[in-house]
Amino acid sequence: MSFGRVLAWIVLAAVGPTMAWLPVSLLAKSLLAQATFSALFALGVGFLLRQNGMVSFGHAAFFGLPGYMLGALLPLRLMPPEVVICAAVLLTGVLAFVIGLVFVRAHGIAFGMLTLAVGQAVYEAATRMRWLSGGNDGLNLKLPPKLFGLSLNTLQQPTGMLTVSWLVMVATLVLVSIIAASRFGILTEAIRDNEERARFLGYRTLWPRAAVFGLSAAVTAIGGTMFSLYNAFISPDTVHWTASGSALIMAILGGSGASWGPVAGAFVYFFLKESLDSYTTHWLSIIGTALIVITVAFPAGLAGLVPWARQLIVLRQREDRVAGA
Amino acid sequence: MAIQLLNGLVYGALLFTVASGLALMFGLRRIVNFAHGSLYMLGAYVGYSVSRPLGFWTGLIAAGACLALIGVLLDGAVFRPLQRRGPLTTLLVTFGLALIAEDLVLSVWGKDTLSLPAPHAFAGDWSLFDTSFPVYRLLIIGFGAIAALGLLLWLKGSRIGLFVRAASYDPVTSAVQGINTDRIGALVVAVSAALAGMSGVVAAPLLSLAPNMGSDILVDSFIVVVVGGLGSVGGAFVTALVLGQINVLGVVFMPELTSLLPFFLMIAVLVWKPAGLAGDRV
Repeated sequence: MSFGRVLAWIVLAAVGPTMAWLPVSLLAKSLLAQATFSALFALGVGFLLRQNGMVSFGHAAFFGLPGYMLGALLPLRLMPPEVVICAAVLLTGVLAFVIGLVFVRAHGIAFGMLTLAVGQAVYEAATRMRWLSGGNDGLNLKLPPKLFGLSLNTLQQPTGMLTVSWLVMVATLVLVSIIAASRFGILTEAIRDNEERARFLGYRTLWPRAAVFGLSAAVTAIGGTMFSLYNAFISPDTVHWTASGSALIMAILGGSGASWGPVAGAFVYFFLKESLDSYTTHWLSIIGTALIVITVAFPAGLAGLVPWARQLIVLRQREDRVAGA
Repeated sequence: MAIQLLNGLVYGALLFTVASGLALMFGLRRIVNFAHGSLYMLGAYVGYSVSRPLGFWTGLIAAGACLALIGVLLDGAVFRPLQRRGPLTTLLVTFGLALIAEDLVLSVWGKDTLSLPAPHAFAGDWSLFDTSFPVYRLLIIGFGAIAALGLLLWLKGSRIGLFVRAASYDPVTSAVQGINTDRIGALVVAVSAALAGMSGVVAAPLLSLAPNMGSDILVDSFIVVVVGGLGSVGGAFVTALVLGQINVLGVVFMPELTSLLPFFLMIAVLVWKPAGLAGDRV
């Protein structure tokens, strides 16, 4: 990793705490904190899209599962709550990996259809298993007063949560970028582009694809965990497929060409929705149209703007040089 | 018990008429139409608006005609131009269309649940083994049976059906042989959309009309086509009937786990046959 990139990560990491420290309204900080949860959600979806070339309409299940796990496991007091929280994220990833082993065998495009079915199965289960999930009323999480050395109050205040979730988001983003640039990341891209050829080169192609699915679910689960810690509440709405659909739109909007694309997409989506909600009730049509236009005309999304701008600058410089000569 | 089997058949018939369209479209254009549930929903709402002044049957026919037209437009404006861009693009574009369709239904008909009464001739109950069974549900089973039989005769018996099968087996070679695959594609999408729309109308008296009715049936139809084999109408037929039974029996015997049963069926079939029961054949 180059020095410039490390510097960029550090600057990005500092933005959140700075925003939290600045005298911005609590509402804005709360919105920003919520946007970081969605950003982690979309980051998982985008990772799957980038490394496997697959869309998921069911990631909300992985966003909500850690919350339900916390609801079920924390009252038992079997382990320290910090261990339970990490285990919830890990378990969600492992579960997705196992499901992935079956699903990635299906025809590529069938994968998206299957994830939708799984997501809705989890949603239905969450509404029906009242003894475990509280049904449609949702579940209040009984969190301990101190977590990871931070008081619960800090975690449930916009200022505290924004700092914590922003840092978690940037750390996860760095991790995802490292994985994407690793040998494993390159292998999965090769499989995405031509599975037959990767197999011909002697690679096993089943488990790397399932592993990408598991990792992407784990990333989404981190966002879901932050979400449930902040709200101390989880309901079936969180795992409904429309939430998965929104995260997918964020990932497409941001573009899956760069790891940070889905994160940027999530922030843009969030603030677009917040600012348009007061003017119009036709948000669905607006975002639907935006999705179609981006998919057809700008498949690279926001992340595609950077190489485009860079190219523009290079061209401009070249023109200047030609003009100068 | 017999009643439960019949109820399962009712839902299976609805699932088949929606899912068979998805399978046909995949077979021919290699695309997945995420807006298929929206076509079902639009059909139901159009049928509702037409049948209130003009009666149920006019509503059913109007919905079929209207959706066939939408199908032709959909094929010409979306599926054909995007054919070279890979299935993912079409999936996302139709997802966007589904969002727009939901907004349209919300703006025109509102978010409240609407209900469409069954036609008079089928309004009563039918007694069977000491219990009564609404006659209207038999109509749904009949509708599914007619759709299945019609598709079977059309695909296996007619010249155009032969073209459809040939084009879904190998579109390029079929085109070389002189089959107008674009026209066949438009026809297939129109038929699929009309089937989806008409099943929406037929389902309306049983279930009710709501802006989320599209996504509910879409999820189950996706399971049906993936398990049955993506492009296979026959596979969709078998799976839809099985899934219909599983849904109803699940509600009776394991109410908490009903939603997970199709999921386990799906996993089991995919472990055994990743390409689905029938593979990619029509």
